[in-house]
Formats: sequence, structure tokens, C-alpha cells
Amino acid sequence: MDSLTRLDDIHLDHIRLTKATVSFDDRFTLSEIDWTITPEQHWVITGPNGAGKSALAAALAGIGDIQSGSIQGVPNNVEIVSFEVQAELIAQELKKDDADIMDVISLGTPVSEMIFDHCQDTELAQSLVEKFGLSNLLDRAFRKLSTGETRKVMLIRALANKPDLLILDEPFDGLDVDTLAMLQAHLASLIDTVPMVMVLNRFDEMPDFITHVAYLDKERGDKERGNKERGDKGRLKLTVDRQDDAAFNELYQLLHLKTTDLSVPEADPTNKLPALDPSQPLVKLTQATIQYGDTVIVDKLDWTIERGQHWQLSGPNGSGKTCVLSLITGDHPQCYTNDIFVFGFQRGNGESIWQIKQFIGYVSTNLQWEYRVSTSCKNVIISGFYDSIGMYTKSTDSQKKIADQWLALLGMQDRADQPFNKLSYGDQRLLLIARAMVKHPPLLILDEPCLGLDDINRQLVLALIEKICQGSETTVLYVNHHAEDQISGIEHYLALKKNN
Amino acid sequence: MANYFNTLPLREQLAQLAQCRFMHTVEFADGVEALKGKKMVVIGCGAQGLNQGLNLRDSGLDVSYALRPEAIEQKRQSWKNASENGFVVGTYEELIPTADVVLNLTPDKQHTSVVNAVMPLMKEGACLSYSHGFNIVEEGMKIRDDLTVIMVAPKCPGSEVRAEYVRGFGVPTLIAVHEDNDPKGEGLALAKAYAVGTGGHKAGVLMSSFIAEVKSDLMGEQTILCGMLQTGSLLCFDKMIEEGIDPGYASRLIQYGWETVTEALKYGGVTNMLDRLSNPAKIKAFDLSEELKVIMRPLYNKHQDDIMSGHFSKTMMEDWANDDANLHKWRAETAETNFEKTPAGDVEISEQEFFDNGILMVAMVKAGVELAFETMTAAGIIAESAYYESLHETPLIANTIARKKLYEMNATISDTAEYGCYLYNHACVPLLADFMKGIKSDVIGKGLDVDDNGVDNARLIEVNTALRSHPVEAVGSVLRGYMADMKKIV
Repeated sequence: MDSLTRLDDIHLDHIRLTKATVSFDDRFTLSEIDWTITPEQHWVITGPNGAGKSALAAALAGIGDIQSGSIQGVPNNVEIVSFEVQAELIAQELKKDDADIMDVISLGTPVSEMIFDHCQDTELAQSLVEKFGLSNLLDRAFRKLSTGETRKVMLIRALANKPDLLILDEPFDGLDVDTLAMLQAHLASLIDTVPMVMVLNRFDEMPDFITHVAYLDKERGDKERGNKERGDKGRLKLTVDRQDDAAFNELYQLLHLKTTDLSVPEADPTNKLPALDPSQPLVKLTQATIQYGDTVIVDKLDWTIERGQHWQLSGPNGSGKTCVLSLITGDHPQCYTNDIFVFGFQRGNGESIWQIKQFIGYVSTNLQWEYRVSTSCKNVIISGFYDSIGMYTKSTDSQKKIADQWLALLGMQDRADQPFNKLSYGDQRLLLIARAMVKHPPLLILDEPCLGLDDINRQLVLALIEKICQGSETTVLYVNHHAEDQISGIEHYLALKKNN
Repeated sequence: MANYFNTLPLREQLAQLAQCRFMHTVEFADGVEALKGKKMVVIGCGAQGLNQGLNLRDSGLDVSYALRPEAIEQKRQSWKNASENGFVVGTYEELIPTADVVLNLTPDKQHTSVVNAVMPLMKEGACLSYSHGFNIVEEGMKIRDDLTVIMVAPKCPGSEVRAEYVRGFGVPTLIAVHEDNDPKGEGLALAKAYAVGTGGHKAGVLMSSFIAEVKSDLMGEQTILCGMLQTGSLLCFDKMIEEGIDPGYASRLIQYGWETVTEALKYGGVTNMLDRLSNPAKIKAFDLSEELKVIMRPLYNKHQDDIMSGHFSKTMMEDWANDDANLHKWRAETAETNFEKTPAGDVEISEQEFFDNGILMVAMVKAGVELAFETMTAAGIIAESAYYESLHETPLIANTIARKKLYEMNATISDTAEYGCYLYNHACVPLLADFMKGIKSDVIGKGLDVDDNGVDNARLIEVNTALRSHPVEAVGSVLRGYMADMKKIV
């Protein structure tokens, strides 16, 4: 027996999911979940719609088919309260009704039976019935209750059963304010006796005793890898310790971005970009060469970017990725010695770089380093209209309005007037992406947009980029060498090699 | 060649000195149009030459570089600068005859030889541009009658000129037309287009004259801008060591202190800089500066007089002729001073502490700014010019000291400024010897040792009124108001 297994055996009270792949009919699969819950922890599972939050909660309660991996250490006495279980109970009740062949109106199972036949602690059940205000409904048929009332019955059953693991899927949904407070207080009184796992869509409902948050997300369609599994896939993307304020706030923001109904704000209607000739490519480099002394960085590169053609540019460090980009943006001095056609301009014929830059949105780590002027978050977004670092002219009302919409999309309205340089690195990156996109440029250049970011901020940035790419007219040029940071919809690839 | 300024009648001298106005944005509505399609040939590819050229080209203008044959053959740095950035590089003979505008961006002391070499090659009716008027005003260089002569002077080091442009902004720029050489009346249009091409119009442009630029620029750089900061650095450091302050702390307090206190100056003038002090410290700084002004006024007058009479430029040109013997000697002496040789200690000094423990430094800046301003305006220089060449530029120079002490300051400024700075320093250090004897660490190094911050009401009102009613504050608040429209929104 190796040491790792022995260690596992010691923690018999841990619930441990190891590369657990669990399928739910053919509709949904939880994919390779690695997760450990220790007895003193209380978790919230969160994530966008369809990410598999309820599925993960259900899997803990033994629902679903384990395809591979394992789920170990789940106690025998598990209680789960969820809409699915609730629906099933109601369905059973209705079946009883159908099964009744007598010509009398079936009353169905009364609430009292639903509660007291099930529970272990009658006294506790009695007190909860009073607390939940169900005393006068005890004789009513369960199936005649409103949704909110059946939910209360479910909760009482689960709590009075004194489980060793309590799973609550959206327990606060549809509860009135008083009941909600009562339930929260009751749950708080249990924290030393039973580990809890909750599914919550809203962060502000999270009880104070929650110690950890698990974040799930949908797996993107993955045809290339010859995936045979049908339906959507959910993955556990992140777990965050509640104590880690920064990570917790970022998770909040991520959930906001993933779930908000807000879409990417429109371009400024009062100041439209000049129209481009649709028959011309956006960018055409012909035999582009960059060289310092005798050192050739880029060697005779031909590259055409047509409108709507999303590209991914990759290559090792030193292969000249950023050099090539700066030929397009006009930031490289040797763009005047090359054959470069951009946005209708053959470079070196009296155009200014501002005429070029107006058609480009640009984000890079370098830009973030250079963006050191002290200005507000809102002004950083507005500066995208001027392609400037910092703001040097008064912004228009229309620009301010659009900047506010972007801040709302990012969940950063309350930080509009805060100094940009006081933000976290990840938040700065999000704002710079908004800045790049604010004018809806024909070409959006994302030069390693996730570079230097931790997991959660990477998720945030990718969520934002995905949002931007949905239904926009912008052509995206994406530079990275992280294979896992993929953006859907890119089908053109240019790989640069290092010239030595 | 005779000193041009001295050839003019008094009324013309005064008229020229009185030129300086802040230009309105609408005056730049034509953008770079006046230079579009014209051939601009830059002479000199140092920091100003290269960076201005990069900006002008990025503004859609046709820029190339004329270098001396040796620089091209030996592939010197100037050749590398120009060619690696994809510019056409050629000899004077190859490029100057094709030029519509020749941009002379070489150091002052090369101007005479450069202009003498270039002028015969220039085509009829072309334009010659300077970034400093010394050659015309002090050396009396006579330019061919058919040529237009303008000046476009970004008021920042070349690296800043480029960095601000790339950010989408620019640096404050002074422009002028040499009235003796504006045969086609197009000088102003060309100068404005040039300022737009470097991005200067976004940060504010001053319309001045060659004479006002030279006489105010020389005065500012010799006294408050470089001279006062050098003298102040040396005296304050030595005093702190004498008073037993840790040398690392003393070095840091001075190296970064000028930058910090003049940042307050930049935002709200002398008043704001003094307002950053506690009331007792403010009154102390005020009293010290009044004392300093009395002691130093004759020195400021002498510098201004020598600049006006041409005595300064004459002696400096003698040193040029002597292979800069004095300049090099004085530069070496500066490198050997205690302040310069003591590295800044690894201690944390908060922003406020620079004020609290640097009362004497605040007093020196105040005295220097006010004296330079008063002396310049008394000599006929208009208040706007005097403001820019005293208060406005002090923070820029202070930044260079924060980077690498006096070495960096003297390396960044022109040789002309550096020469004048040493002259000032040599006279000012002995002049302040007695004054410094009375100085203790309460005003430099440690801060006031007071039980509470109580002050006499009447005295505080007196001091505040004096601060706020100084003429440099009046013109300063107006000009900062103009600038605020175009300045970075903070």
C-alpha cells in the first residue's frame, strides 16, 4: 500500500470526488470532477446556467451514473432539497391520484404524513412546522400546496431528519423575507453538526457560515477532439476559500459576467468610424521583414486578414509576434519600410498613425504596463475612443453613457471614479479590453490577453472576450500560446517560427 | 558675427521681449496641412532629432535625416538611430537641396558650423527651423534672405516628446518666427503645423519670439531651474551631515524631495507648495525664503544683466573655443561632491515627510521661483514667459534629479544650461555661507520641534496674503487654467 492511499484511508470523513464523470441520462455529463469536502466545511456551488450546479449537488446524493472515477466518503444519511426532488415527489403524488380507480376524489397524502412519517426527530419537526407557519396546513393534501409551501415541507423533512450531509439546491428561492431569515438562522445553528452544500445563483444570498465556493462552467463544444459524449458537459473550474477576499470578489464578478443579461454596449452613434471599402482586406502584409542590424526578426511574411476572418497568431517567444502586430498597429518604425496595406491605407503615403489606430482595438500586457497615468476607471474606457493612454480632452455625454454601460457589464459600476492604478491586475485587464472594444473597431487585437493572470482572472477575461465575440462585427486577432485559452469561432491560424 | 539682440534699438528689444501668448486650440485647426507633402530633413539624430522625427513621420509627414559623412561611414549612433527606425539617411549634399524644411536639432555649440554648411545647399525659399534661438540671437547668425526661419521648441527632453505623443498627447511647445526671415509670410503656418506634427498642440503652445525665448530660457535655466536646485542640493546635504542626519536618509530626502515638493508647485503654484506645510512650518519657510531673497537678489540681477548684455554668451563661447575646458572641469567637480557620491538610503519617506523635513528646500524653491520671475519681468520679459521659464519648468528639472541626481540633470539639460548652472552655483554657495551657519536640522532633515501647531493669527494671515498676492501666482493661475483644458484629466 503506498503512502497516498494510506493517507486517503485516514480521512474517512472526507467526501472525495476523484476524476468523477457522472452522466444524467443523455442530457448532461459532469466531467472529471476533483473535489474534496471536509467535515468542517460548508460549500456553495455556483456557476452560470447549464454549468451543472444542480447535477453536482445531485451527484453527492447518489443521483446519476458514475461513468468513471469515484465518489467516496458520502455518508449514508444524506438529505437533498431541490426542485428536481420536489418535482418528483409531486409527480408521485399525482400518480397516486391517477391510480385511484374509485369514483371518489382522492385527497392525496396529507402534509402531516409527508413530514412526520419521514422524520427522525418529531419534536424538531413540530417546532419547524410552527416556525415555517405550516401548522394550519398539516391536514391539507401535499399536492394541493403552492410551490413555496411544498418547498417548506421539503425543508422541514430534510432538517428534521438530522442528516450527516445536507444538500440544499436553491433553498432560498421563493421564500418570504421572514422565513428566509428564520431558515438562515436555523442553518447557522447547525454548522458544527452537519456539513452543508448549497447551490446558489445569487451571491448576496450566501450565508456567512459558508467557507468555500465551487465554480462550475459549461464545457465548450469540442468536436476536434472526437468527443463521443452527448449533451453538455459541466466542469469544476475553480474552488475559492471564502477567506480569500480578492478571489471571492473576482468570483462574484465572474458569475456576474457569465449570468448578466447585459450585452456589449453599442458603438457611439454620434461619432461613427469612417466606412471601409468592403471589397478590400483589413490588413495585407507583403513580404514583411523586420530586422535590426543583421538580425532578422520577421522574414518575408505574407499575410492577409479579410474582414470577419478571426485569426489566432502563435509562436514561441522571440518569434516576432508582437513585432508583426506592431506593423499592423503602426507602432513599429519599420512599418514605413515595408509593404503594408491597412484599412484602406498603403502605409507611408502621408497618413497619420491616428488614422490607422482608429480602426483598431488593442490589448496587451505591454499596454497595461504603459497605462500608468492616474485616471479614473471610467476615463480608461473612454480613452478607447481616442486611442490614447489617459484622457486629454473632455469626453462627450454619449461617450460617458457608453462607458457606464461597459462598467455595468463588467459589474464595476461602483468603481467608475476609482483610480485605475489602484485596481487589481485582473480588473485592469478587463477595463483595457472594454477600452479596446468601446468603439467597436473593425479589428480587435488581443495580444496574450490572459498573460500574467491567475486562474480566476483568466476565466474572467475569457468570459468577457466570449461576450464580445458574440454577434459583433469585429474581426478578432488573437495572440497566445496557451492552448487551453481558446476562443470559439477562430478558424485561421498563423504560427511564426523563431528565426536564428 | 555680432550679438543680434544688441544691434536692435531699445524699443525693438522691449517689443520682442514682451512677446508670449498661450495659443488657442482653434488656431491649430489646419493640422499638419502646411507641411503635407513637403520634404523635412532633420540634422542631428540625438534624442530630440530622433524623437521629433518619429512623431512627425507618424503624423503623416515626410522625414529624412542628413548626417555628416563620418557619421554615416563609421555607422555612428546617430546613423543607427535613424536607419534602424527606417528613415532615409543621407549626406548634407544628398538631402539638403531637396528639403523644403531643414530642422536643425543639433546642440547649440554646433549651430554655427552646421548652419554655415547647410545654408548654401538649401533651395530657394525653403525653411530653416531651430529649437533654440541662441544661434540667431546671441551669435548673430545671419540667414539668407530668401529663407524662412522658425523655432519650434518642445519644452521637454526628447524621450518625453516621443512618449507623450505615443500616449496620444504631447508636450508644451514654444514656437516663434524670426521676423527678419519671413519672406513669404508663411513662418507661423509652418511652425504651427510642425507643433501639431510633434503633438505639441495637444499640450499647449506658446507663441513667442526668438529673443524672448533666448533671454528668458537662459535666465530660468541658470538660476531657479538648475542653479538653485544644484546649490540647494549641495548645501542642504552638507548641512544634514553636519547635523548628524544619516547620510542615506539625507541623500534620499534631497534626491526625491525636489520632485515631491515641486509636484505641489505644478498643481497649485508657490501657494499650494507652502500650503502643504503645517502652519508653523509654513511661516518658517516663508521667513527663510524672505531672507534668501534678500541675499540672492543681487546674484539673480547679475545673471539677468549678463544675459541681456551678451556677457554670458560671450564668456561661454570663449569656453567653447577652448574645447569646453571650464565646462568639463566643473562637471567633474560636481561628480565629486558629497551629495553626488552618497547613494540614497533604503529608507521609506512618505510624501508628506518630504515637506515636513524639507522646509528649507521649500523655502529655496519659493525664493528661486519668485526671484527669477521678478528679475525677468523687471528686465522687460513678459509675465507669461517668465512664468514658464521659472515656476512651470521647475518640476521637470526636479524629475531629472530624482532619476539620477545632479548628474542626470546636467546630462539632460543643454550644455548651455549646464554651463550657466555651474556659474550660478559657484557664486551662490559662498553667498549663502553665513545664512547656512544659522540653519539647523529643524528646517532640513528632522522637521520642526514644536509642542503643538499653534501660530499667531495675524502673522499667518500676513504670510498667506503675501503668498497669494505674488504676481507669479496671478499669471500662474490663469495659465494653469488654460492648460487644464488640455492637460491630462487627473
